[in-house]
Amino acid sequence: MTRRTALAAAAELLAWWAGLVLLWLVFISTVDTLERIVGASVAAVGALLARAGRRSVIWR
Amino acid sequence: MADAVIVVALLLTAASATAAVATRDPARQALVLAVLGLLLGVVFTVLQAPDVGLSQLAVGSALTPLLIMLSVRKVRRRGKEGDK
Amino acid sequence: MNGWILAATVLLTAGGGAALWGVATGPLSRRVVAQNLSTTVICPSLLLLAQGYGRTSYVDLALLLALLGPVGTLVFARLLADELTGDRPAAWGLTWTAAGVGAAVVLVLCAVTGPSRAMVKLLVIGALLISGNVVASRALSGGLRGVRDG
Repeated sequence: MTRRTALAAAAELLAWWAGLVLLWLVFISTVDTLERIVGASVAAVGALLARAGRRSVIWR
Repeated sequence: MADAVIVVALLLTAASATAAVATRDPARQALVLAVLGLLLGVVFTVLQAPDVGLSQLAVGSALTPLLIMLSVRKVRRRGKEGDK
Repeated sequence: MNGWILAATVLLTAGGGAALWGVATGPLSRRVVAQNLSTTVICPSLLLLAQGYGRTSYVDLALLLALLGPVGTLVFARLLADELTGDRPAAWGLTWTAAGVGAAVVLVLCAVTGPSRAMVKLLVIGALLISGNVVASRALSGGLRGVRDG
């Protein structure tokens, strides 16, 4: 993996993560520290899954 | 008067359940059953049990039709192989 | 009983009754269209009920339905593809009418809620509902080749 593809992968993961965190913050009822922590970690897992899913669909 | 929505939801559920029983073809029955699942979710909601309604919607709208349609498909394929 | 619950009752009676009638009678192509319509009608009435009861957490039901209802219709479109090849069900007038009703309900609720996170949630639900409905209708009318080919 070259430097350029690694950078692209990181950017994609970051975009997925930002979008998922935004969705989480919109859907919860009250925003507090615990919700932010849980949302950020769940969005990180979701970003990994989303990138894996997109790649498996594109490369078929 | 405030119970009108409950009455409407219960009537629709009863009608769709009757229709599900009266339908003979399993594929069409699965279609009626999907609508019945949604209406049951509405009934739970108007009876102030949204948590039950949430799980009912999750199961009834996508999972039950998928299971029934997959079984119908498998049974039909097996029947065709048996004819040969 | 307030106006919101009354509106939900009217929508449920008219739309739910029509969807039930369509799904219980007639040819198979009409039945799948009616099943798709039931999602599009019940989701806005759940939103109206949430507003009528004054419980914002009830909105989650509509969110789940907007997400999973089209998935259920896609299941039927995929697994009934052989039976539906003869007459592809296409009811675009009905589809866009139902989508318009959903959009109207969402916009009215947004106007009542005012600019906040709850309004963004309502808009997300509306977008999911309408796009899911249109995608499911396209799949039913044979517009999506990928659905039939699997």
